[in-house]
Amino acid sequence: MRRPTITALVVIIGLLLLADMLVVNAALGQVAAVGVDAAILVAAGAALAGVGALGARRLNDLWRRRGDPVGAVMVVVGMAAMVIAGLRPGSTGTTDPAVQWLLAALLIPIGATLFGLLFVTTLGAARRSLATGSREGTVLVAGALVTSVLLVPLAGPVGDWLADAATWSLAFPIGSVLRGLLIGIALLTAVYAARVVLGIRGADD
Amino acid sequence: MIERVRGLSRAAPILLIVALAIAWQAPDVGWLRAATTDSDGAERMTSVLDALVDEPLVLIGFDADVGTYAEIRPTVRALLADLLARDGRLAFVSLTAEGRALASAEIARLGRGEANPTRLLDLGFIPGAEAGLVDLTGDIRVDEGDDGVLAREVEDAGIAAIDAILVIGGNDLGPRSWVEQVIPRITDVPLLTVTPTVLLPEVQPYLVGGQLAAGLITPRDGAAYRQGLELGNLERLVEPMEPRQLPILVGMLIAVAVLGQALASRTLARVRSAGSRSVG
Repeated sequence: MRRPTITALVVIIGLLLLADMLVVNAALGQVAAVGVDAAILVAAGAALAGVGALGARRLNDLWRRRGDPVGAVMVVVGMAAMVIAGLRPGSTGTTDPAVQWLLAALLIPIGATLFGLLFVTTLGAARRSLATGSREGTVLVAGALVTSVLLVPLAGPVGDWLADAATWSLAFPIGSVLRGLLIGIALLTAVYAARVVLGIRGADD
Repeated sequence: MIERVRGLSRAAPILLIVALAIAWQAPDVGWLRAATTDSDGAERMTSVLDALVDEPLVLIGFDADVGTYAEIRPTVRALLADLLARDGRLAFVSLTAEGRALASAEIARLGRGEANPTRLLDLGFIPGAEAGLVDLTGDIRVDEGDDGVLAREVEDAGIAAIDAILVIGGNDLGPRSWVEQVIPRITDVPLLTVTPTVLLPEVQPYLVGGQLAAGLITPRDGAAYRQGLELGNLERLVEPMEPRQLPILVGMLIAVAVLGQALASRTLARVRSAGSRSVG
């Protein structure tokens, strides 16, 4: 089903921001700023709604005794601890020592640890992709193997040669593949945006 | 035999942690080094910092993410200390929640390290990602309770007061957004960046094209930059210890061994399969 109001809004705001970027005009700038401020407010509202929905979902899981109760308790307790630390009477918000402690002693190390676990899970995934026997998996693992060898932190002339080779491989073969992906995504996004702006929808919409 | 392999697979994570712990405790060895003898990234960063005006006001877009921050943290802390050693004034702003959390922790750390508080300004969190960046170029809002000289200067002059921008990038928001949304709206402000290696393919074209004045993107660039610093009494603001290279080497060798063994097994199986087909 077509929604001309949303399309019209997208077209008007898009053209307004484009015009503001190309033409120096105070009145136009102020009108464009209203659009930008509205986008900021919507984003802030969406973030708060997302956090609220997560909390409500986990509380509901606990109430109805479904899902992962330990995970739900952890999420609810974590959110409650941060809200109490940051919003209790007399708190200085994000600069409050209790909030700082929760960040520095819990949130940041836990986040880094979860990311560190990728070392083990990535190796496991690489082995499994080889086990499937796909050619893509073999190329992927071979590329990872070569890159890992190039990044070994050796000193001396061998280390310098490895560093140069690593820089070249990151900048050219690996970089060009990833940049190609980014360009492809950008083109798809641009085409999709143009279709929305021009009101062109697929037959399945 | 199969039971033994299964047992080894189950014990592998614990063996990995034990190996890393031993490597962590072992003394440093001279044949390992993170920094290269010549780093274009480090040289470029230093030359851009040298060319800044006296007491530069640097806007720091702090949007690292907790996953990759460990990789760039020593370099970020060294760069902040270097800017303060150059009499720089630092205004922190974040456009992601994780970036805000990390920026808040770093500002608190600078406070604990007795960095001059008149040279630090916390502009807080702006929601809206790209929209927030556009808003930043029009008007910088300062906490009403902050009546310091730096706060007033930033509030009165807005983005025009800024002499350089340093983007601490992460997976959610990095230098690309600043290049797209901020650089076209301001003039002659060098954009610097420190990002994890994962963003290199995205950042490299901007460095080559000149939209980014300088960047420290790989651990080697960061190590080379840190190696050349002379911070005097502000050494207290950098990490007390450089990242240990031996545990990194052990981890990399384990990765190479696991990947190599899997690849060799696969190749061998294919060769055998091809051989049996040709015989048949």
